This record gives sequence, structure tokens and C-alpha cells, in this order.
Amino acid sequence: MSLLSALSVSASGLEAQRSRAELLVENLANAETTRTPEGGPYRRKDAIFSSAPQSSPFSAEFQREMGSYSNGVEVSEIFEDQREPEKRFIPGHPDADASGYVAFPRMNPAEDMVDLIASSRGYGANVSAMAAVKDMIQKSIDLLK
Amino acid sequence: MADPVLNGIALRLEHYMDLLGKRQQLVAANIANADTPGYKTKDIDFQFEFASLMEGGTPHVIEAPGLAVKNDGNNVVMERETRLLSENALRFSLASNLMRGEIRRVRSAIDEGR
Repeated sequence: MSLLSALSVSASGLEAQRSRAELLVENLANAETTRTPEGGPYRRKDAIFSSAPQSSPFSAEFQREMGSYSNGVEVSEIFEDQREPEKRFIPGHPDADASGYVAFPRMNPAEDMVDLIASSRGYGANVSAMAAVKDMIQKSIDLLK
Repeated sequence: MADPVLNGIALRLEHYMDLLGKRQQLVAANIANADTPGYKTKDIDFQFEFASLMEGGTPHVIEAPGLAVKNDGNNVVMERETRLLSENALRFSLASNLMRGEIRRVRSAIDEGR
């Protein structure tokens, strides 16, 4: 049933956009974080998307057996920004180095806000796709009334 | 292929709705992959598939031609996809209403026979 698998394709889009939004919010929250478990300041994270079989394994398997196609999306990798941290001169700060510089995350809040808007728009587009497909399924069910 | 209950129109409608469903699935996949680097917009040649696949079967998926590719290798145009999304839904709605008429015709033949 291709209409039902279209729903899980859209669901995979929702999931991917949500994980990306989570990372972006985490970046904003940690814009001033100088300590992390790995040591050093926080590093900006972002998601890399890749197209993948749809999220429901049963449906994906079934479609493959039927020789059909359906590409959902998934977060294939989360990468950390490798740029050098930003050095600010704050002598007396507990995390300052010998010459009084503290390493802060290299972060541009505007960058994260713009990505967050894009992510939220993407989420909305997937919701619209889901609503349209749901409407089609409902129409098919109504044939029997 | 003569069906004793539903006539040729109903069979064509069934095929039409099936094809619309498949196309809607591709549109949903394009929207889900709107931010995937290197992803190319997928589509089916609707008129061609409708004319050539009356007996059922799987339509050929092609990459939609003539779309500008962005820096990350992705060429999904959101406006195109949302237009197709609502166009497919409207066509499906029309087809399902016609189909309902066909089914009602059969049902009234059954009911009047009682």
C-alpha cells in the first residue's frame, strides 16, 4: 500500500528535522560553555542528512520484496565544528590559560537561528505532506460508505 | 479484461488512483529529503505511465529534469513539491468521487433486486 508507506517517509522527515532542531538548540544553550566532559570548550554540532529506507522496517522490507522504492531520510552523522575556539582575555577566570586567555566556543548565534528556522519550515512541510496523504487515505476509506 | 461488476471506467479510475498514490509517495520523499546533500528530485512521467501501464505494474521512477542544482548537490524545489502535493490530492479527490458514483450504481442494482 503505497499511501501508507508515504506516511512513514514523511515521518522519517519529521524525525530528522526534529533531531537537527535539538542539536541547534543545544548549540544555542552552550554558546558560552567552557567546560565539557571531553575537556575544552563546547563545540558546535550539526547533523548530516542522507536518504535512507523509510523508518518502518516492516514496510521497508515489504516494499523491497515488491520491487518498489521509497526514500525516507535519516541523520547519518553528527559532526562537530573543528574550528579553533575563540580566545577571550579574562585573567582570573578559573579556565584561563597561563597568559590569561579563556577558550570559548566559536559560535555565531545568527547561524544557529537561521538553521533553526529552516529546520522548523522543513518540519512544517513534512506535516503538510502527511496531512495530504492522510486525506487521500480517508477518501479511499469513504468509498465504502 | 471484462469485469462482470465494475465496468472499464472503474478499472481506469483504480489505476489512476494507484498511480496518484505512488506519485504522492515520491513527493513526500522529496520533501523529506529537501535538506539532504546530493539528493535529486524524483518523479514519474504521469501521462506516459498512465497510458502504458493500464494492466498494472510498477511505474518507472525518473529524476525530474530541468531543476537548478544547489551548492550541496540537492535540487529539491519546495514550491514545486507543495504544488504537486495539493494537485495530487485534488486529482485523487475527484477520482474517488467518480469511483463512489460507480460503486453506488452497482449497489443500487443489488438493492433494487431484493
